[in-house]
Amino acid sequence: MIIFNTNHGPISIELNSEKAPKSAQNFLQYAKGGFYNGTIFHRVIDGFMIQGGGFEPGMSQKANHDPIDNEADNGLSNLTGTLAMARTADPHSATSQFFINVSDNFFLDHRGKTAQAWGYAVFGKVVDGMDVVNEIKSCQTTSKAGHQDVPVDDIIIESTDVTED
Amino acid sequence: MTHGVHKPLIFISDLHLQDSRPELTDALVRFLAEQRGSCEALYILGDLFEVWLGDDSTCRCANRVCEALRDFTLSGSMLFLMHGNRDFLIGEHFAAQCGAQLIQEPYRINTAHGDIILLHGDSLCTDDLEYQHFRKLVRSAKWQSEFLAKSLGERKQFAKQARAQSREAMATKTEEILDVNQQAVLDYFEANACPRILHGHTHRPAVHSISLEQPIDGKSEATRMVLGDWGTLGWYAVVSDDEWELKRFRISS
Repeated sequence: MIIFNTNHGPISIELNSEKAPKSAQNFLQYAKGGFYNGTIFHRVIDGFMIQGGGFEPGMSQKANHDPIDNEADNGLSNLTGTLAMARTADPHSATSQFFINVSDNFFLDHRGKTAQAWGYAVFGKVVDGMDVVNEIKSCQTTSKAGHQDVPVDDIIIESTDVTED
Repeated sequence: MTHGVHKPLIFISDLHLQDSRPELTDALVRFLAEQRGSCEALYILGDLFEVWLGDDSTCRCANRVCEALRDFTLSGSMLFLMHGNRDFLIGEHFAAQCGAQLIQEPYRINTAHGDIILLHGDSLCTDDLEYQHFRKLVRSAKWQSEFLAKSLGERKQFAKQARAQSREAMATKTEEILDVNQQAVLDYFEANACPRILHGHTHRPAVHSISLEQPIDGKSEATRMVLGDWGTLGWYAVVSDDEWELKRFRISS
């Protein structure tokens, strides 16, 4: 289990290493290495998702490892409370950024092996702290440094606990 | 709904039926056979057809759909048909042939989960000013009666041009602009004093939970359920006494 201690409270995450081995391993590697400490949830859209894991306060982007394969075809759906890998238009471009779905976003699921239909790979879920996620999703947002939907007040992952189970 | 057990209500939209995609009509015919008699009503929330140039302009798939819908209503289920942005010219004549009742958006229904407002969804895409202008024009009674007075050939020519222009315009619009405007959604909840809406149009099937600043109808969270378009998957919503759910099924691989 991975626990993000945010300035709004802890969010506990369970990874699905069976269905999404590469994404789960990738996320665990960043978490264990302390990469997420000091990063913010930089894109927050109520009724959609909260995205983080790539920026520090002031919208400076962190350098990350190589991109990974997209495992969106694993049968997992982008349901409320699930974590999926964020990426660019290239399906296989995910690195450290992830998002937590705050709605059942079926349109993000895998529909086919073309760039447009690949979808977003779900690799885990929030098992505790959805109240924290819901508090974050309703925060006030603005535009910062060319990015839209950035929380007015920084929402920071202050530390990360990784427990073996 | 105040007493007793009710059969569920079923909702679909954005099938975009056309002669060149018979598998979609097949899927609808199968779907209707499965739902036949087991639901209180079926609501079709727009874009049943890819294009509709008037009730006098028929295609093979329209005849098949009409027969299947009529058969469906003979089972005792009611059928409600709402216009979409592609088939807004479906008239009373075709609706009557199908055994359907045409409904205008926003259409409010009362369910075990409280009132739900039904709409196609294009009216919520307020960021697309050009489209909203076009929508206002073609939804006016004057434009429609003038258009329907033209010959079928002239109407076909117009539709061809409109599609080409739309394709051109879509290519230059960013993805965000084609989805609904979040503020328009919040305003909609408030203006209608109803925290539940169900629509299609955007082809982004989802069940959105949105926090409200001021509770509506005692709810601090509003729900916007979005039906999906039919393609490799088919989508439908079910509202019964104990569930309000978005469901999907496989049409083809």
